[in-house]
Amino acid sequence: MDAFLAAGAAFLDPYLLGIVLIGTLGGVVVGAMPGLSSTMATALLLPFTLTMEPIPAIALLSALYCAGTYGGSITAILVNAPGAPPAAATAFDGYPLAQQGRAGLALGMAAVSSVIGGIVSVIVLIIAAPLLARVAYDFGPPEYFALSLFGLSMLATISGESAVKNLIGGAFGVLIATIGMDFTTGVDRFTFGFWELSEGIHFIPVMIGLFAGCEFLIQAGKLDQPQIRAALDAVRLPSWADFKKCLPTIGRSCGIGTFIGLLPAEGGTVAAMIGYNEAKRWAKDKSLFGKGDIRGVAGPEAANNAATGAAMVPTLALGIPGSATTAIILGALLVHGLRPGPHLFTETPTLLYAIFMAMLLANVVFGVFGLLGAKLFARVTLIPIRFLWPSVFVLACIGAYALEQSVLDVWIMVGAGLLGFVLKRYGFAAAPIIMGLILGELVENSLKQSLIIFDHEWLRFLDRPIVVAFLTLTLLSAVWPLVSAWRARRAAEATAG
Amino acid sequence: MGISPAEDRAAIKAARIPRDFVVAMAILAFCAGTYVVTLGFAEAPSAVAQNVQPATFPRLVLGVIAVFASVLAVTSFRRDSARKRPVKLIAVATGAMMIAFVIAFDTLGFIAAMVLYSLAMPALWGERRWRIVIPFALLFPAAVYVIFVLGLGVHFDPGLLGIN
Repeated sequence: MDAFLAAGAAFLDPYLLGIVLIGTLGGVVVGAMPGLSSTMATALLLPFTLTMEPIPAIALLSALYCAGTYGGSITAILVNAPGAPPAAATAFDGYPLAQQGRAGLALGMAAVSSVIGGIVSVIVLIIAAPLLARVAYDFGPPEYFALSLFGLSMLATISGESAVKNLIGGAFGVLIATIGMDFTTGVDRFTFGFWELSEGIHFIPVMIGLFAGCEFLIQAGKLDQPQIRAALDAVRLPSWADFKKCLPTIGRSCGIGTFIGLLPAEGGTVAAMIGYNEAKRWAKDKSLFGKGDIRGVAGPEAANNAATGAAMVPTLALGIPGSATTAIILGALLVHGLRPGPHLFTETPTLLYAIFMAMLLANVVFGVFGLLGAKLFARVTLIPIRFLWPSVFVLACIGAYALEQSVLDVWIMVGAGLLGFVLKRYGFAAAPIIMGLILGELVENSLKQSLIIFDHEWLRFLDRPIVVAFLTLTLLSAVWPLVSAWRARRAAEATAG
Repeated sequence: MGISPAEDRAAIKAARIPRDFVVAMAILAFCAGTYVVTLGFAEAPSAVAQNVQPATFPRLVLGVIAVFASVLAVTSFRRDSARKRPVKLIAVATGAMMIAFVIAFDTLGFIAAMVLYSLAMPALWGERRWRIVIPFALLFPAAVYVIFVLGLGVHFDPGLLGIN
């Protein structure tokens, strides 16, 4: 209770309130820009939060995360170009609605359902995170090893071209994490004689490069694609009839988004896709889906925002990221000297309550911004990309440099951007690599500690029920996409035959 | 009876090595090369290493990657990834500009590099409205300087031109 009051008192400080408002505003603007996602924005902003106290720093990133997830819907509806991947499903019906001259209705419903989804998820976060942390309090290295393996195996089920490629990406991230001095033995690994690499490759430049540097190159290939912006009527709140029609969809999507967000590695994009599919599946009249059904906007928007708070649950309680953006927030906690996990709840409860409050506030504020200022935010799509993206690249360079004030980090960022671009062309997404990079140290250290505890008898992992449960889930989540693809192919062959 | 063009195309498609198979082979080659690198890691005394040598974990990860790459190779004959259009020249030029910017950052100094880049990059992307490009090339670096150098205390080396 003292911690709650302390966090509440911190929010009476205009500085912290201002930080959350700026984060929310920034999130909506960034989310609204096609190609610029809240993931990229948090990655870019993270180095500059290092000079801040932990509470404002994490509050800023959390607010940006919540608002950015909503902001993506603006361009999805107006220009059929989702500002962020979680808004991709919103475009299916949002853009047709805008073409019919009902952009205001779509934007209004997106704002309302996003706020509801976001607030539900923060409530789940407030309730579930301490409970999960209490369970995890007794976890030892073997449990953490099994849990981090489970987190990595969940990469198989995130959206992307192929489950196997996501798993390879995750393992590649873990391999990058081994670069530098082995902390147990003091032996250099993969440093090739460069002493600068002895401290390892910091995940921030890699992250900025994989998200911002790579996107810069992708945008270069899209210069000849014209964007057609739908006319925007006045943004109005959905009528009671619209709301009543969407209420079951919103409720269902809140549940879907929360569940998906709770799973390690899964995030808003998967939640939104399932939210959309379920909205369509449960609808009695499906004929308007894809042509401008308002439930096709409410479903994915409630789901992707419901995933935001829920994705923070494993991030804060276990130190296992719930999504790509929460992986960056996890990184922010680490660089601020905080170790996410159960101890965070006993050692720095004020920080946690401040995060909860920042997210709650951000959800309310972006709803207001969304309803009152969608027309204004939509204007960010008018910023010429010939100036926007070169500026983003400069900010990416500064972000990579500012961490250690080292040009080597800028080279690493550029290298990661170029590598990310090549990998993307071959179907490898950035998010699994980042997840692997962030979890790599935990996987290696917990494995080493476990082997010492078990006197190098691998089978003793199976003596611990929680480990067995996580390893079973790991196996299931890694194999399930392959089995499901095989079944789908069999079904397709049977239909064709 | 001759072969129809459609059959001909289908035969060529069937004979083509799957794209993902080539990717999987490249990954396996990477794993093999990286494994060779791990052979060069120094051995730690067993009392320090506690039976987990520095190379053990990276080799384990390489093994995992190799297994997944093998799965990718096998499955590629049933389901291959879609072929992408060739990389556009402008994307290659943009990549070169990224590298050029970092070289200029390291040699000329950040501010000078930024002014040059802010002029060149929009021009490379086809922007010819110099009335916008020139103010952008002056105002954007100025804004960056005010926010990051004066505001956030980020220090940039002055470089050859000594502008800081």
